[in-house]
Amino acid sequence: MQCTVTSIQSLAAGFFHLSLTPEKPLGPITPGQFVMIRCGESTDPLLRRPMSVADFEADGSRLGLLVQIAGRGTGTISRLDKGDQLDLIGPFGQGYSVPPEARTIVIVAGGTGVAPFMTLTPTLVSQGKDVHVLLGARTKELLLMEEWFLHAGASLHVATDDGSKGFDGLVTALMMERLDHMEEPPDMALACGPAGMMRAVAALAEHNNIPCQVSLENSMACGFGACLGCVAHVRGEKRYVTVCRKGPVFDSREVLI
Amino acid sequence: MDLNVDFAGIKLKNPLVGASGTFGYGLTYEKFFDLSLIGGFCTKGLSMKPREGNPTPRICETPSGMLNAIGLQNVGYEKFATKKMPKLRKISTAVIANFFGETMEEYIELAAKLDALEGIHGLEMNISCPNVEKGGAAFGTDIRVTEAVVKGCRAVVKNKPLIVKLSPNVADIAEFARACEGSGADGLSVINTLVGMAIDIKNRKPILANVTGGLSGPAIRPVAVRMVWQCYKAVKIPIFGIGGVASAKDVVEFIMAGASAVQVGTMNFVSPDIIPQLAEELPELLVRLGAASVSELVGVAHGG
Repeated sequence: MQCTVTSIQSLAAGFFHLSLTPEKPLGPITPGQFVMIRCGESTDPLLRRPMSVADFEADGSRLGLLVQIAGRGTGTISRLDKGDQLDLIGPFGQGYSVPPEARTIVIVAGGTGVAPFMTLTPTLVSQGKDVHVLLGARTKELLLMEEWFLHAGASLHVATDDGSKGFDGLVTALMMERLDHMEEPPDMALACGPAGMMRAVAALAEHNNIPCQVSLENSMACGFGACLGCVAHVRGEKRYVTVCRKGPVFDSREVLI
Repeated sequence: MDLNVDFAGIKLKNPLVGASGTFGYGLTYEKFFDLSLIGGFCTKGLSMKPREGNPTPRICETPSGMLNAIGLQNVGYEKFATKKMPKLRKISTAVIANFFGETMEEYIELAAKLDALEGIHGLEMNISCPNVEKGGAAFGTDIRVTEAVVKGCRAVVKNKPLIVKLSPNVADIAEFARACEGSGADGLSVINTLVGMAIDIKNRKPILANVTGGLSGPAIRPVAVRMVWQCYKAVKIPIFGIGGVASAKDVVEFIMAGASAVQVGTMNFVSPDIIPQLAEELPELLVRLGAASVSELVGVAHGG
């Protein structure tokens, strides 16, 4: 599906936000679902890059992506201009699923892991839920979309590894502190970010008997279940599941992170 | 424009077939296009019992290609026959069952079962998958073992064309092509992936959990074209050209080298509707080249 770039904005060194209008609406999107982006028309780099949908219109007539420049593919995307075309397919996979009875939600995001929560946070707030967003980054410059979350109606806390803003330390340490502050444990934790962060969030959630959903980022070739490259190991079983189809969002007790 | 191809008795409405390991059991692609638009497809390699495959990382991108070490993950014969086949029988496209065994007995048992399975148009033996220690490599790289396993399967495959997918990881592929033809194969698929590897220099170790993997994609196309050329010279049976097909020009290149049809593999991951797209673009290119059919171009690069 060809999309027109309607804006491209630098967020921090090596990070940018891309806004896209597909030639036809993509259809309904669930936060946590992803699209597969082609990095130019050449066969080098060859494979599409999976990217979590960040902000979007409900019918998929517009979508935003948070991109971290990691190599040549994302480098090519970073040089796009307003009006350029970008080829994507999707949305694919299973997004976050918050049951109606969950009242208090803790969201933990690191780096571009904030993406799936950009639309989910205001949605959960509008449903009357008590939403706590914990954002983590190495430095204050790398805290992405903080402004957005400030206006999303959630209670926002930030952590930086170097202490340049907010809590001084890892976002998982901040999570531990917030859990201590809360009168009752939250009904649910949602995490997205580096694997190490998600493992720590999942461990903390499980220790406190809080259901937790994580979004896995295994390398994948296709994104739609054909290559079988992205599989995750099912916990306690000799079995794999495809991250692209059964995930990328899983209950943290289901798979090895 | 006549795109029809009779490949060893398998009727293909065009010379474009989805390659095994990139096309699931076909149904994965139904959300992208009508499967009746393509010549056919080869299933994910089937074994008697389901297989879970290798640990991750299983794939790694390389220049104009990728390495994979999926480890022959598949649903197994029973589930394929009972869950996938009822749906596939309703689709008007050629279904070629790719299969492998860990032992000679398993190859033969599975070949017999697939030969009897309604809705399968042909069998493609994987003797070349380089990923699993006990699996393909030994069968496809030792000429006597290749002959024995092809003869064994030939003896039980009585109703359907038997195609052998050759390993490129041998010194002289033409020798293997002749051995397969002499052992009763009806067709060849040339080539499977080339063994490769990549190192994660930051962590000072191989990227793939399996250490080595199969290289595929446009990067291997010149090697594949050369091997199709060599096999065409060596045998009379039809050849599927496989290796990085990404455009109608690539299709014609393989056909001119001696392929009767081509299989599209890795590019399905990048453009899931590439096969119907190529089917649409091919007639125009053939007209420009002054050809009235696909078949008249087979092997023309070899001269008169």
